Amino acid sequence: MQRKRWMFALLAILPTLAIFAYVRIYPIGDTLRLSLHKWDILSKNKPFIGFANFEELAGDPLFREALLNTTIIAFGVLLITIPLALVLAALIYHRTRSRFAGFYETAIFIPHVVSLVPAAMAWKWIFDARLGPLNALLTTFGFVPKAWLFDPVLSVVCIIVLCSWQALGYAVMIYLVGFKSLPTSLFEAAKLDGASAPQSFWYLSVPLLKPITLYVSVVTLVSGFNVYAQAFVLASDAQGAPGRQVRVLVLDMLENSFRNYRVGYAASEAVVLLAIVLVLTLIQFRLLREKGVR
Amino acid sequence: MIGALNSATTTSLKRRSGRTALLGAFMLTGLSAASAQTVTVWSGYPEMAPFYEHVAQGLKAKHPNLNVKVEAIALREHEKRIALGLTSGVAGATVIELQGSTVRRYLENDLLPKAPDAVVNFVKDKTNFDEFFTSNASYEGAIYGVPLFRGQAALFYNTDMFKAAGLTTPPKTMEEYTQYAEKLTKRGSDGNPTASGWSLRLTGGGQGIAEKFWINLFQYGGSVLEPTADGKWRANYANEAGRATLKQYLQNVHVLKTVTPEMPADAEAFERGQTAMFIRESWVIGDIASKAPNLTYATAPLPRGSIALPTNLYVKAEGADAKAAWDFVMATNEPENLTWLLKNVGWLPNRSGVDYSSVTNAAPAFNAFVNYPKDYKFFTLPSIGPIEEVLTRLAAQLTNAFRNASLAKDDAAIDAFLKSAADETNQILRREGLLGK
Amino acid sequence: MKPLPENTSSRGMSMRTKERLVNVMIDVVLTATCLLMILPLVFLVSNAFKTPQEMLAWPPTVIPDDPTVANFKAVLGDTPLLRWIGNSILFSVLSTFCILATSSISGYILGKFRYRAFNVFFAIILATAIVPFEVYMIPLYFQAKALGILNTTWGLLLGYLVMSFGIFLIRQNVIQSIPDELLEAARIDGAGEFWIFWRIVLPLLRGALGALGVLAFFQAWTAFAWPLIVATTRDSYTIEVGLALFQTGFTVDLGRLSAASALVLIPSITLFVLLRRNFVQGVASTGLKE
Repeated sequence: MQRKRWMFALLAILPTLAIFAYVRIYPIGDTLRLSLHKWDILSKNKPFIGFANFEELAGDPLFREALLNTTIIAFGVLLITIPLALVLAALIYHRTRSRFAGFYETAIFIPHVVSLVPAAMAWKWIFDARLGPLNALLTTFGFVPKAWLFDPVLSVVCIIVLCSWQALGYAVMIYLVGFKSLPTSLFEAAKLDGASAPQSFWYLSVPLLKPITLYVSVVTLVSGFNVYAQAFVLASDAQGAPGRQVRVLVLDMLENSFRNYRVGYAASEAVVLLAIVLVLTLIQFRLLREKGVR
Repeated sequence: MIGALNSATTTSLKRRSGRTALLGAFMLTGLSAASAQTVTVWSGYPEMAPFYEHVAQGLKAKHPNLNVKVEAIALREHEKRIALGLTSGVAGATVIELQGSTVRRYLENDLLPKAPDAVVNFVKDKTNFDEFFTSNASYEGAIYGVPLFRGQAALFYNTDMFKAAGLTTPPKTMEEYTQYAEKLTKRGSDGNPTASGWSLRLTGGGQGIAEKFWINLFQYGGSVLEPTADGKWRANYANEAGRATLKQYLQNVHVLKTVTPEMPADAEAFERGQTAMFIRESWVIGDIASKAPNLTYATAPLPRGSIALPTNLYVKAEGADAKAAWDFVMATNEPENLTWLLKNVGWLPNRSGVDYSSVTNAAPAFNAFVNYPKDYKFFTLPSIGPIEEVLTRLAAQLTNAFRNASLAKDDAAIDAFLKSAADETNQILRREGLLGK
Repeated sequence: MKPLPENTSSRGMSMRTKERLVNVMIDVVLTATCLLMILPLVFLVSNAFKTPQEMLAWPPTVIPDDPTVANFKAVLGDTPLLRWIGNSILFSVLSTFCILATSSISGYILGKFRYRAFNVFFAIILATAIVPFEVYMIPLYFQAKALGILNTTWGLLLGYLVMSFGIFLIRQNVIQSIPDELLEAARIDGAGEFWIFWRIVLPLLRGALGALGVLAFFQAWTAFAWPLIVATTRDSYTIEVGLALFQTGFTVDLGRLSAASALVLIPSITLFVLLRRNFVQGVASTGLKE
């Protein structure tokens, strides 16, 4: 009987494990291995060069720029999304019985599900210095119109806005679920004690929602570090398309790999990205950890 | 029409079983007729697609079963698909259009076959191609490809805007370029330029920025890379020529304010009358003809010389397919097709001995490209592995420099910048073992 | 603010009015926010209908003065847009199916069959969940190349066959909502293991599978970096890649670009509106709470 169970379990899980090994574990290992070699895609030999790639990375201005941009974007999105999502979810939850609740949820979540590229196109036009409605709005209020997509600082801001716009819906959705599962008894007790709504929000809801905040912040931060499509479309360096290229890590990686034909070097960049993500995730777990999570 | 793609799909399907069988129902269906031969043409210039189709049309008489599939995508993506495609084996016969400078790494790694004898004789014939083009299509003495067209830059200028500014002839020296730019710039009430006098490549296009910089640099006698006596290379722009070039950019952007990075630029701006002059390749002529046929413009050669970037056709194929592919390649160089190319697309055919006067008479703009002065000098991108990386990194440096207003009047700062950029260039060369003395 | 059942306010009129006022204010804020969120997409759709001249007009209009369908015609005629959408749909559907299949069986096994060896597996799966795809997609690309499946749906699928989070989700769900007793009872009754999985476990997982399915679908639908490097022939682009590369020609036609993008919005939004319930239900049942 026991053997039968064991056989079933093993056989059932083996295909998935095999796939996992092939499409996840092997390539991850390969990335680590490639980072210590030099390979230009075309040639048959891949000489081992130790940590030379990493040394070169440390001194590479383009890599540093990519790292800086990516970090700013990731944290920018995080700092905007989490508080905003918390507040919005709280507001929607308060009105959860009104007929509008469905509309609110849908409207806020839609940016998250539309394909990345059309959404980025929409924002690209909004930010357009000559034709975009943003500048039109600014001029009607008497502000100076800006070249949003050309300025090195503003173009990063634009990407942060775009990514937050997309990430918000998912965060709100998850927070809403969290709110729905909070014990109402606590809040009624607080109200009886004279706590105001904002107080019970700050002192009760926020701490209780910590595990959700942890999850949302990990997911948002990690996907922030992998930003690519948005930078590709919004801040592209295509000939004739107006914009200043915002260099992000993934873009630098792909450029090194497929344009400069330096796969080993790109792999070392990937390893750095991995290390960053791991460290940040660990930190977040530390900060927001609750007993018994996972 | 889905020929090449589907035969690849069905082949890979047959190689695997199990899961494939289960999900086979979902696979794309549609098999093309097995007897037709398919040649796929990979091009990095979308505007060349009609030309290749035109050539295919012409071949229909002799090769009724030949199916030519043209896939022209943006240049960067094209280069990438070649890098990845050649090493994995492309399905079916593929004609690959590549610049001579980019193709070297593939030849070094044995990824493209030599040309067949008939083709070699055609290419080596001095009456067909100048030595410059023949050597561009060879490697270690053997011919691998067939020259087709080249990119060559010249000045485009809007004659109406010139007249309005009181100018009758095109600028002849680089100093005149700046003077002209000043006179031609149209300004709004706040003094900021609304139409630039001289559209410079300040943003976008990756290594294109470095290429355009090199063209200007060449007029001052410099170059981004120069060959050294020992057959290697070295950066050559941390000098007076480099300083003069960069200074001219900065002057125009920050001091004289004849152009800014945010302004519309390039061919599109020229066609819309948003710039009075710019330096570009001959394809613009065809672009203007189709998008702004009423534009009054003319072309002129550059003060010292121009870039010439030859693009050749190579073939990756086996057996009988190879013959069909090379037949196509040879057909592209037939006089009728080359004239069609010049007239309708605008890139310059490399083949000599063909009478292009029917085109140049109808479109005098071509004269600056085809009938250049006797002492005109040409330069091309070195055929070395890291050339893209060198140019891409230089472009990134330049983009930052162009935005830096404080550099405009500070020669020492300009020199320092050029030195650090040149150091980076040399570092790349050293890493690849290509740095000369 | 926490919700108070509206009928328990028995403190008099002023309390209720105050509540109503607060509610109205919240509604205003939320409505404004929602409108702002959808505004960019509204712009996109309206741009799709503008003529090239109107695209250049300043200040830009929200509702086109002179609506035209020329952009749509041009886009549908010149580019294989429908084919790209087809590619995306095929890829997303297949990916969803694979992810659901692998996640459900693996989640079940890892959740209910507590062998020590499996703990290692689970740890590995969790560990790889954190690793972003972009980190290892380059070697994976070369693996796809070696298999000869570039530019095919299989090649696209290679990166999206399994989802670590999916396995985790199902495992959580299995642990929390499927009592061991139920399974034991079935075993005592003589049911085979596979039958138990197929007939008892799967139906109980419906909510979670629904949520996972939606997640997997949209993950594949919006994938960008991987399809960008895998699909290099025009015919095999997914819709995201095709649209993005649309704009890298020498000149950019905003009207057409918007038309193409707007066309793509339709399946996205439709699918979401249909599947919203599923997703919310599923997320709720994942045990994100303690």
